[in-house]
Amino acid sequence: MTQALYRKWRPLLWDEVVSQEHIIQTLKNAVASNRVAHAYLFSGPRGTGKTTAARLLAKAVNCLNPDVTHRPCNECAHCKAVNENRFMDLIEIDAASNNGVDDVRELKEKINFSPSQGTYKVYIIDEVHMLSAGAFNALLKTLEEPPPHAIFILATTETHKIPATVLSRCQRHEFRRVPLGEITRRLNEICKSEGLEADTDALNTISRQSSGGMRDAISLLDQLSSTGGKITLELAQTVLGTATSQSVIALVQAVIDQQPGSGLDEIHRALDGGADARALARQIVDYLRNLMLVQMGNGDQVEVPADTRAQMIKHANALTSSEVLRMMRAFNAAATDPRGGWSPSLGLELAFAEVLELPAQAEVVSAPRAASRTSAAPAPQAESTRIQPPISQTPTKITESQPKVATVTLEQVTKAWKHISSLVKAKDTNVAALLNSGKPIEIREGILLLAFASDILQEKFNRPESLDLTRKALHESLGVDLPVQAVIIGSKNALPSHVKPDGMVAAANQLGGEIVDIH
Amino acid sequence: MNTWNIFGHDWAVEMLQQHVAHNTLRHAYLLTGPSGVGRRTLAIRLAQALNCQTPKAPGVPCQACRTCKQFEAGQNIDLMVIQAEAEGGTLKVEQVREVTKFLSLRPYSSPYKIVIFLRFQEANPNAQNALLKTLEEAPSHALLLLTADNAEQLLPTIISRCEILRLRPLSVDAVTDFLAARGVEPGKARLLGHLSGGRPGFALRLSADEKALAFRTEKLDDLRALLAARRRERFTYAEKLSKDKDIFRQTLFIWLSYWRDVLMKASGAALEPTNIDRADEIGNLSYDIDRPQARAITEGVEKALDRLDKNVNARLLAEVMLMDWPMVK
Repeated sequence: MTQALYRKWRPLLWDEVVSQEHIIQTLKNAVASNRVAHAYLFSGPRGTGKTTAARLLAKAVNCLNPDVTHRPCNECAHCKAVNENRFMDLIEIDAASNNGVDDVRELKEKINFSPSQGTYKVYIIDEVHMLSAGAFNALLKTLEEPPPHAIFILATTETHKIPATVLSRCQRHEFRRVPLGEITRRLNEICKSEGLEADTDALNTISRQSSGGMRDAISLLDQLSSTGGKITLELAQTVLGTATSQSVIALVQAVIDQQPGSGLDEIHRALDGGADARALARQIVDYLRNLMLVQMGNGDQVEVPADTRAQMIKHANALTSSEVLRMMRAFNAAATDPRGGWSPSLGLELAFAEVLELPAQAEVVSAPRAASRTSAAPAPQAESTRIQPPISQTPTKITESQPKVATVTLEQVTKAWKHISSLVKAKDTNVAALLNSGKPIEIREGILLLAFASDILQEKFNRPESLDLTRKALHESLGVDLPVQAVIIGSKNALPSHVKPDGMVAAANQLGGEIVDIH
Repeated sequence: MNTWNIFGHDWAVEMLQQHVAHNTLRHAYLLTGPSGVGRRTLAIRLAQALNCQTPKAPGVPCQACRTCKQFEAGQNIDLMVIQAEAEGGTLKVEQVREVTKFLSLRPYSSPYKIVIFLRFQEANPNAQNALLKTLEEAPSHALLLLTADNAEQLLPTIISRCEILRLRPLSVDAVTDFLAARGVEPGKARLLGHLSGGRPGFALRLSADEKALAFRTEKLDDLRALLAARRRERFTYAEKLSKDKDIFRQTLFIWLSYWRDVLMKASGAALEPTNIDRADEIGNLSYDIDRPQARAITEGVEKALDRLDKNVNARLLAEVMLMDWPMVK
């Protein structure tokens, strides 16, 4: 078995560690001036060099090179021993497997013996966040005042899990994500020394995919190189499961054009072509992020070919920044959500469908009662401020009549009520009888609300004919076009007008629930 | 069928075969893909390819010799298969510690000691953390093979230590051919090919189990009846459904595929429906249920599936889900 590239290329000298200068310089100076602290905590995202730096430090403090500024030298007996993983005084502990109090006690028992080969005994405790609370506490005293020959180096990806008492006893160093350019440079170096041929585009794709983790990047390079031939962009796309940028652009275009069918077909085409659903979602997020940068006037930061840039500017103009943000959120969820074992593409499809809906919903809220009940059904939150239109044809009439509404008040209506009901009676006695059991209570948003005592009456009245008749009578009497709606009031089972008649609240009400308060 | 006698995933087989033949094997692989797609089979074949005594060609196991058969049955002394005690269970840290112990010894008869972790997404965070150091710098005689539904379910620190092979679902036609080659009659093969969503292993399990198809038909009929049913009937059904969690989960899977079809149809996508035998019914339903509604329902069923594994009140879950469905006559 050959060694994985990321193990083979683990830096053996300070200068080989990529883009963590702020830490490396500090550590180098500490070694040179012989002011090495007794406890360090290295934290940062995966693949940024924590374990590597810990081993380098261990090597440096034990190096035999007479020139302190050149430690570690990789030539003396101790350095070689560390590199070959057989140095007695470098004790590397896997805290995730040895996380109990007993493991720490064992460590304490042995720490008092002087080092057998080198000057210092170095304890590297990796994945230290996995120590149990008891183990951490057992370590405290030793960590505060270890014997002069001992150095602790704790390494972890999750600092927030480390107790404050431990943090305060260590010198803390925060490792940064490696920038894209640095990763590509390092990959190029490796390719040269390993005799691998690689396209720059392919290496760029790898660096982008690895999101700042050097180990991820080298692993991917390793995987691509194992096919034997030249590393091309196509090969990188096949293995990584990324789609072509055309698919991404077509998808965003489908959202802009509101074309659900063609968008979903595009998704399936990309997946059939070998793309991974999550990778595709990530690519879309990347693209949207670039759109956002263009929208905010930072278009220069986006590194894309000229024709893609022209397309991007078009898209950026077609979408508002809040739409781009919403799309990013939806697709990001599809990329990172751990669910979706049954069908890998489902998350992406749902995100796409969701993105298509959102702009429409925003319009619903701003335009008064423009949508019928069915289309708003899955989004109850958008409805809370509106009254249910009684029948679907009223909305259009309402908007027409709105300018006149302000001229009538409830008082005027109540005063003219008798007249109105007599006008109705002349045409239809049944409706007039119903009208008599109702009572005008409020003019809300240009609709006259009539209160009824029971839902039977309300339902009967809520037919188009009776509503129309009343409306005409109102028009005759007061000279305004005022739509009417019946609501229930007073009875125990009554529903407030803004509660959906087929929603959960209504269901609970039907089963005997009582409405206490509605927000 | 490729040289490893695996259906589909030719690129992965090709690559691993090269690794074995040229001795450029990595110490850890992560095989991801939906269940039934062939992750375990691929892992076993890799183990066989490494240990086969009479390989047909470099890196091609014979599948006939003693060692190959031992690996096939998971019986070899240098093989360790680790998984949660049941599907949907948890892989515990003690099991991972056993692995560390197992790997600290040299192999007995084979060149490698091989550990296969099945459904590693079921490992709890402690177990995953306990594997980190072993996974990063395993002994030179160790080979770790992990399988999971998707990489995002695992700790990022685990993923970055493995070489990832993302196995994708096969095409519907490929699975149909696969079943037909195994003697399933063409009509049924086509239906199962669609239902499997490109997972040959799953399709094979389905074809062997007579009850599974009947169960599916029953549940889809129930779904249609529920849409026309009143609230009271839905509550009654929810109570019945939530009695057995396993059946509940399977029902949700069936419903999820159905609602996804409705969503696709309502969106006007050209994709053939998964439930091909119900294409007309789905077509009709897509007139009554518009796209946003179909999406909301699909998402609701998917969320219910997720929540079911988080130990919520199953009956309440079923009720909430069914209440959100619209009334369709």
